[in-house]
Amino acid sequence: MISFLVLLGIVVCFSAILALALNFQWGLGGMVNFGLAGFYTLGAYACALLILKGGANTFVATLGAMAIVAAASALVALVTLRVAEEDYFAIVTLGAGEMLRLAALNEDWLTKGALGLAGIPRPLGNVIPAELYSYFLLGLAVALLLGTLWVLNVLARSPFGRIVRAVREDDLVAATLGKDVLWARVRIFAIGGAFIGLAGALHAFYYQYIDPTQFTNIVIAYAFMAVIAGGRGAHRGTILGAAVVMVLLEGSRFLKDVIPALNADQLAAIRIIMIGVGLILLLIFRPQGFLREHRLRVDLGDAATIRR
Amino acid sequence: MRTFTRRRMLKSVAAAAAGPLGFPFLNLAHAQGASVPIGVAVPLTGNAGPYGPDMAEAARRTAAKINNAGGILGGRRLELFIEDSESSAAVAANLTQKFINVHKCQSCVGYWGTPEGMSSRPIVVQNKVVLMVSSAANAITEGDTQGYVWRFQMKATDWGIVIGRAAAGMNFKTVGILGLQNAFVLPIMKVFEERMKGAGVQVVDSLVYNPEQPSYRAEVERVFGKKPDAVFCFGLLPDFVSIMREVHRGGFESKVVALSIMADAEGKFVQAVGPQVAEGIRHFQPMPDVSASGYRKFVQLMGAPPDRLFLFPPNTHDQVSITALAMERAKSPMAVDWSRQIITVGNGPGQEVDDVVEALKLVREGRAVNFQGAGSTCDFTPNGDQLGRGMGQWVIKGGKSVFVEYAKP
Repeated sequence: MISFLVLLGIVVCFSAILALALNFQWGLGGMVNFGLAGFYTLGAYACALLILKGGANTFVATLGAMAIVAAASALVALVTLRVAEEDYFAIVTLGAGEMLRLAALNEDWLTKGALGLAGIPRPLGNVIPAELYSYFLLGLAVALLLGTLWVLNVLARSPFGRIVRAVREDDLVAATLGKDVLWARVRIFAIGGAFIGLAGALHAFYYQYIDPTQFTNIVIAYAFMAVIAGGRGAHRGTILGAAVVMVLLEGSRFLKDVIPALNADQLAAIRIIMIGVGLILLLIFRPQGFLREHRLRVDLGDAATIRR
Repeated sequence: MRTFTRRRMLKSVAAAAAGPLGFPFLNLAHAQGASVPIGVAVPLTGNAGPYGPDMAEAARRTAAKINNAGGILGGRRLELFIEDSESSAAVAANLTQKFINVHKCQSCVGYWGTPEGMSSRPIVVQNKVVLMVSSAANAITEGDTQGYVWRFQMKATDWGIVIGRAAAGMNFKTVGILGLQNAFVLPIMKVFEERMKGAGVQVVDSLVYNPEQPSYRAEVERVFGKKPDAVFCFGLLPDFVSIMREVHRGGFESKVVALSIMADAEGKFVQAVGPQVAEGIRHFQPMPDVSASGYRKFVQLMGAPPDRLFLFPPNTHDQVSITALAMERAKSPMAVDWSRQIITVGNGPGQEVDDVVEALKLVREGRAVNFQGAGSTCDFTPNGDQLGRGMGQWVIKGGKSVFVEYAKP
């Protein structure tokens, strides 16, 4: 049981990094990323291919994956030059993400197509004994999650973070005040992209086998659920949200082990329904999410108290 | 009559309260103690959802049959943990971890699709646990599996061989090929195309398409537009339904040949497109030898009518049975010991038996057995590929699939 919890912990960590990246792009920067699954695919494949075909070590491959996804995200963000409206940009990201997913599925010469990439080496996989490896990977994942949190916190509270939020609230006002909105958006998307790449690399290390079926659009749904449940813009809330989503998804499998009246066939359907109902209830009773965005805590906090 | 004292009342209330609280923990503790846990990962939702419930039921009934006859290893019962693989690689990997780390399973069975098998393979090899799949892609057993990965299905290239041979006898001069971008389809396509060319049949086009497209009009027009005598489609049910609607709308006249998981799918295809569109489609699928007594006993075990055709559940029956037999033969529930006995009990040499309880009795008596399963004769190559499973061919007439022939590679 403990080893299963350790493994679940690793899944929570890379899901939380993915959710934090989305939160930075969408929660703080106001740039909806419906192509998340595609960028996540790119991160995982870039990391795996840099190791398997490029001969890079896992550390270099992880940095490479972050750089590649950041560059791809920056390119996509450039289209905001023409489509600044949130809705149109969302469609563009959706298209870009699909392109990346289809490339992974069809470019057999590089990605082995539907067969996927097997035997992905892990960081220090040869050094650490197999029975202790999952503990090491958990430690690594937690450290990377805390690192991501720290970087994003520093960014969010820096002058750049204020530009990010200004662009989200009203890009016209930001532009009027002399801020370069396009450049800000490119940087927001690229920074988020780098952490999507990191999450993708961890995904590849954890599963050691990646194929296009692992990166379907449900990945986007879970990441958005984590951000919404955690509270849009709130970093620690997002981590909590990702943990709750993942624990619900995996933990609900144990229901049938403890409630003998439920059989697996029924539970399979009930589980998915329950998760949906849970999110709806959360949105009804706590629409602002578990926690608040850091900077706005004082103002909105008062307003919320009065409403209550 | 006994008096109802306050103390007794308190005791019974406490016991009633403690019962349900303690149960979950008892249940888990039980799993690690006297019983032998087996993980069953089958698709109950997702695009392979129609196949999972019967596979789960086959596993349940097979385990119950073994347990009712006294279990294995001196009275230990098989305990199944059935989970939904959601037809997804990542979910299947998490399930395999749960089976191994939480329930201490030494055997993980089911695994309908290739992605599920591929993502679980590194996990079982690391943990020295046996994985038994029902999926076809060659890659699952390629390379060093250390004897822990076993396929209870014909491998994909063999599908291509059988379909190619049958197609060569159908007197087509030109054929087109339409295949889904999928790990088990591509090897079938490759071998099939080679066989067609070898038989002197002209392949006018061979096209790979993506899953989950809203429409397949462009693909259909390109391949059917070249007016080949027949088009061979390899894929899954949802894409084939869209393809056949386009074919019907476009009025194309090429004959259509497909797999049964596309053109039959437990009757779902005809329901979706109607008997008129389905008329005349031929379809192939690896299937059990329905004349074998092992298969007939399985149908009885499932409580189904004698003419009912089960494609995948017999494999699950065989996976549970081979697990039990190999454990009994090795006198150990640990996969490190019993994975070496899978070929011994499956291939023989020994007395041929098709009933798992009888086979267990013989193994206990120290006699050699050659188990004949419900889905196949349960013979394997040393790297875990299954031999001795054949393929059926059907043609749809008046909305019903009519059996044509059974052939082995």
